[in-house]
Amino acid sequence: MKSFPLSAVSVLALALVAPVAQAGVTAGMKEGKPAFKSMNQLAFGPEGVLFVADTKAAAIVAIATGDTKAAAGSAAVKAEAINEKIAALTGTAADQILIEDLAVNPISRRVYLAVSRGRGPDAVPLLVRIAAGGQPEIVSLDKVMFSRAVLPDAPSDKTAGEGKKARNPRLEAITDIAFADGRVIIAGLSNEEFASSLRAIPFPFAKVDGGTVVEIYHGAHGAFETRAPVRTFIPYKVGKEQHVLAAYTCTPLVQFALNDLKPGAKIQGKTIAEFGNRNRPLDIIVYQKDGKDYLLMANSARGVIKVATEQIAGAAAITKRVADTEGLKFEKIDWKDVAQLDRLDNKFAVVIRAEANKSLSLDTFALP
Amino acid sequence: MSLRRLAALAWLAAAGAASAAPVAIRWHADREPVAVEVEGLPAAALRAGAEQGADIFPVFAEQAHASGVPPMLGTWSVAEGRLRFEPRFPLVRGVRYRAEYRGAGAPPVVSRFELPADTAAPTTTVVQVFPSAAVLPENQLKFYVHFSAPMSRGDIFTHVSLRGENGKPIELPFLELAEELWDPRMTRLTLLIDPGRIKRGVKPLMDLGPALEAGKAFTLVIAADCRDAAGRPLRAAFEKKFRVGAADRTPVDPKTWTITAPKAGTREPLQIDFGEPLDHALALRTINVAAGQASLVGETTLGAEERTWRFVPDQPWRAGSHRLVVGTTIEDLAGNNVGKAFDVDVFERVERRIETPTVEVAFAVK
Repeated sequence: MKSFPLSAVSVLALALVAPVAQAGVTAGMKEGKPAFKSMNQLAFGPEGVLFVADTKAAAIVAIATGDTKAAAGSAAVKAEAINEKIAALTGTAADQILIEDLAVNPISRRVYLAVSRGRGPDAVPLLVRIAAGGQPEIVSLDKVMFSRAVLPDAPSDKTAGEGKKARNPRLEAITDIAFADGRVIIAGLSNEEFASSLRAIPFPFAKVDGGTVVEIYHGAHGAFETRAPVRTFIPYKVGKEQHVLAAYTCTPLVQFALNDLKPGAKIQGKTIAEFGNRNRPLDIIVYQKDGKDYLLMANSARGVIKVATEQIAGAAAITKRVADTEGLKFEKIDWKDVAQLDRLDNKFAVVIRAEANKSLSLDTFALP
Repeated sequence: MSLRRLAALAWLAAAGAASAAPVAIRWHADREPVAVEVEGLPAAALRAGAEQGADIFPVFAEQAHASGVPPMLGTWSVAEGRLRFEPRFPLVRGVRYRAEYRGAGAPPVVSRFELPADTAAPTTTVVQVFPSAAVLPENQLKFYVHFSAPMSRGDIFTHVSLRGENGKPIELPFLELAEELWDPRMTRLTLLIDPGRIKRGVKPLMDLGPALEAGKAFTLVIAADCRDAAGRPLRAAFEKKFRVGAADRTPVDPKTWTITAPKAGTREPLQIDFGEPLDHALALRTINVAAGQASLVGETTLGAEERTWRFVPDQPWRAGSHRLVVGTTIEDLAGNNVGKAFDVDVFERVERRIETPTVEVAFAVK
């Protein structure tokens, strides 16, 4: 998931009182049925616009969901064995349902899931929404307003491989997307050359130009992970400037300024935390409690951790290899087996958890 | 449908279902589209069923744990005098389906159905693992696993392992990306050694230590329980045994390659000897041959251990100057690029970075 950053909420509030900005959201969109080869990552933008990353098509599709009626109050979302319910709806076995990502519409507070029905090359991508009562429903994309941005260096149709009839096997896996300051930020990793990229594409996608590709260097492991992929990230304002906080494997948190995302730029990220080894970050959100901002990060091995962001502005860069943890202080939160995480509202988070019986549950937890 | 049959059904409808043919559910899984039908219903019940769909004739894909699962999506209609349900998605092996007809004033009629189990023997194999060399550098970065048929994704890291000389699996050797790096056909898997587990310089790694160490032997194992796209296991497990040699921290330099130029007027292969193994996928994709402004069309193959490259043009060679155009993203086995070693400290040695997307090496065809 990529949650709506706090700082962007204020952008949204501005947009709602500024009709000119409001009209701009569907600029460049057309009505129809967007084609998807896959749905991998989700992120909400302004006014109910949902960004869907399609790795197989090397594209980001913006869909005006029309889901723009503000939620009345705070209602917990709960659905036991959500993978089985989606399997039941689509007539398959639960192990043939892969939940790729979860995102909450910040306006309606409704939960959306990117789902694959099937595990092979013919898997059907589905956009699923959780209805009242915790039942999944498939969002019809037969007739929606949408626009599409094809990633600038998407694999060409030029064939490669042994022999003339070989196909081009290159793909760039999109590992996370987010929206901030009028741009869709996309983290990706190629299945051939070892290079991770972070792009910022202005939205609306009026004109898809070359975008921005940056390589991010962080110093914690010497040059060890200089080209390692960003696993998950969150846009966050440090002082007045929009930053991106990006989490890597094993598990540094790296900070860099969004405005540095310029074509051809080589950004030097600042490593501000090491959250420990044998671990993969899964999702990261930001929220506010008692007037302070916090990060909440779900991890494969280290559980869910909470970080007070007031430490970020004055954080020293970690410049040498550390044995375990270093930098920003964090607190472990007792949420077990969280695989997906997003902010529901100011008080609650929505998670997908793996149960002991291997089913996946959708649950609502009070933000710690 | 024949008129006679229509007439018979009309009679049935008029006579009322209870007194005529019993209400029965039939599965038509061999038909396209797949359908489930209720027969023996009067006209009013048919209409009600088509209009109210899942309220009257729900069809379920039964699940292990969830209670109150929703019925399957699909469309309801009246066809050939029967209430028909066509599921939106195809039926799947191993799922127990249940159809319920809930007519007014009668107990529900329930029918269960399962597709026949898959009894076919496994056929999918691992065809090849690249790099194909038997000795790999200590800072080996990547493996490509080629399968004979499309595979399933979602839990691949539970089926692949890297084992040491004692046969024990190395802990967390791979960069475990939830997305899994498959090609679009899902016949090729890219496995990256976790960059945090690649030995660098002279300092030992802390925490887990390096995945690969010089002087030792390792085995990359693809377990047989890895599932193909049809859900079947592999015909057999696959093992790639290799020894580990010295680390390679030398950038790739096309100027050092040995080029054997073909003769003009022939379709002899242009041959390159890299002097070292290169990354299989990138060596195939990032090297092109140009003459003037035009790229030549032809067939590219790699030789043993991905040390050599051959190009046979579709058209005979013309005499004159040609160029090898090499993408600077080409990599050797350790991820070193043209002009840039994999673990070069980019903060201190930025001037060494190559900013051009390609480099060229000229050769003459005589």
